[in-house]
Amino acid sequence: MDNNQNRYRSNPSRRSFLLGSSALTAAGWIAAGTGTFVLKPNWAHADGHIKMGIATDITGAIGASGNTCWQVAQLAVSQINDAGGILGRPIELILEDTASDPGVAVGNVRRLIQKHEVDVVLGGITSAMREAIKNPITKRGKTLYLYPQLYEGQECTSHLYCTGPTPYQQCSELIPYLIKQGNKRFAMPSANYIWPQLLNKWTRRIIEENGGEVVLEEYFPLDQVEYSATVGKIKSEKVDHVFLTIIPPGLGPFGKQLFESGFQKEGGTVSCVYYDENSPFYVEPYALEDTYSCLDFFHSVNDPFSKQLVKDYNAMFKDTNYLLTAGTASTGMYRGIKLYEQGVIATNGDLAREAVSEALDNISVPEGPGGPYKTVPGTGHCAMNMYIAQNKGGDWNIISSANMVPPNECA
Amino acid sequence: MDEIIKITFDILSFSCIMVLIVSGLAIIASLMGIFNFAHGEFVLLGAYTTYLFQEAGLPVWAGMLVAPFVVGAFGLFLEATIIRRFYNAAIVAMLATYAIGLIVREIVRPLIGGRFWRVTEPIPGLFEIGDMSFSIWRGVIIILTIIIMTGCYLFLAKTNYGLKIRGAMENPALARASGISTTKLYSFTFAFGAALAGLAGALMVPLYLLFADLGLRFLVMAFLSVMLGGVGTFEGPVLGSALIGALVPGFQWLRELPIIVDILSPIFSEVLVFITAIIIVKFKPQGLIKRGRL
Repeated sequence: MDNNQNRYRSNPSRRSFLLGSSALTAAGWIAAGTGTFVLKPNWAHADGHIKMGIATDITGAIGASGNTCWQVAQLAVSQINDAGGILGRPIELILEDTASDPGVAVGNVRRLIQKHEVDVVLGGITSAMREAIKNPITKRGKTLYLYPQLYEGQECTSHLYCTGPTPYQQCSELIPYLIKQGNKRFAMPSANYIWPQLLNKWTRRIIEENGGEVVLEEYFPLDQVEYSATVGKIKSEKVDHVFLTIIPPGLGPFGKQLFESGFQKEGGTVSCVYYDENSPFYVEPYALEDTYSCLDFFHSVNDPFSKQLVKDYNAMFKDTNYLLTAGTASTGMYRGIKLYEQGVIATNGDLAREAVSEALDNISVPEGPGGPYKTVPGTGHCAMNMYIAQNKGGDWNIISSANMVPPNECA
Repeated sequence: MDEIIKITFDILSFSCIMVLIVSGLAIIASLMGIFNFAHGEFVLLGAYTTYLFQEAGLPVWAGMLVAPFVVGAFGLFLEATIIRRFYNAAIVAMLATYAIGLIVREIVRPLIGGRFWRVTEPIPGLFEIGDMSFSIWRGVIIILTIIIMTGCYLFLAKTNYGLKIRGAMENPALARASGISTTKLYSFTFAFGAALAGLAGALMVPLYLLFADLGLRFLVMAFLSVMLGGVGTFEGPVLGSALIGALVPGFQWLRELPIIVDILSPIFSEVLVFITAIIIVKFKPQGLIKRGRL
């Protein structure tokens, strides 16, 4: 460094330093502010509201799913409120953005419970998020929590109900079907967190029970962008099928790089159990072509209630980019809200957590996205219809379906 | 043999991206002694400009053409208003650039809704050599990087202005005494470095995704490259970035070998890049190419 430059020093005085740092702190406090968003029903009287907290990812890597959940929640609640609310009481929706960041989420969720004193919380999408917010909600917050997303199972916390599909529901039909198609050698490139790790255990077992073989199982940091080595290995190990559990932001680059290696051109197939009609947000269309998915709902399901639900959603949110899909937790969100409604009706308006939770343990709902569903007593999970679909030209064509598949969790 | 060609191609394409990103940072650091913590955000702005063109329905390649000019102009503006006040206090300059980076990043974040967005490459698809397929766009990046780096080298080595820049890099006081206006030089160089970063961001965003923390991801690797390559020359950091660019996917490829795959997880491979860099710096503290005034 030039000697002349070292001679010049700036000496901030103590006063200006203190002034500066206190101004900075004040700015920080103001900036942190309140991030809550409250939707009051328009026929409100001051008391009698049922407060429903939605804690979902409006921003961040999982934002596409979170925004869909929030919109579906608004649809479900407006349908309930328009019909007179739950036993005459309207629902007030309170949204907190968990920002795809479990660290940030814990603080925001605490605000839902301590400041807004909600009667129930629905939300969380990734398992990492659920793990972060479940204790602030159910243990310290002593509040009922419904988790709407497909996940890895083994969530048996009391007063926590899961309304999305479990590994058994997703894989027990899909894997045998794939093996029957002639896929013997499987690769499992995964994101490094709890959902892929536990899901892969299930999937590996089902694969091996059906005569298949797992040749590659690897876990990557969530933000890894270079997958050339893994893709090279998939090609050289002559993998027939990639069972993908990478999540955004790594998903886009991986899908691209896998396609660019010529894997699909040479007959390889891909499945991902959260791929749905919203996946073009994350994955290029050419990487999505011919992939398989197994979910509780697709737009092509031939069920009048489901079709009407999609129509109502599209009418309420015209021109939205976020479609009502199963991989985004929004079908689970709808199910969760309707389950809560049935639970409160069953307790005759008693909102106490223990009462509603006990009621939720045994509820059958005849109509929902994808078909009927019911909670399996003692498990905290739902049995629901499952559909295997394949993507052709952007549309998901249903290949096979199974009715009221049991969740097979927390038995 | 096929494998080796594939590996070389993938490593080369990632190295080229690193070289594009780091060359701007290197010029600024070597000439003005300022480590520009906002450099990642220049990359982000280049990527964001390209995304805006895509959203407006204009061709993506037009966005890529415009991005370096937009970011260069922004760099010029920053230099004139903020950076030039700190030439005599390099540490404070780093803080200032860090603050600028923070501001830019957090302004872009709500503008893109805090989300991740796809930008489709102007020339998608594969090209085939034998029975190997390669991404066309990565090939384009490699070719463009070679052209741009050759152009930069020729500019620095063969032109009058380049001579002035090199002179000012070696000995600013003597350059000023010889009548070279270092103020104008610094403005131009900062803008040029920013433009290079903007171009890098624009070119590489189709390979990944646009998100607000894109710059941060590459900033750390960029600093590693400059540290490795040595401040004070143009070739040093370029070499450093090529090395880092090779190591990041290279360590992943190492996992192809039988024993290594058991001890090296993908996550540890990332850590290993940093460990390797630290080891190299231990033996060559001035960097790989030590010249210039440091």
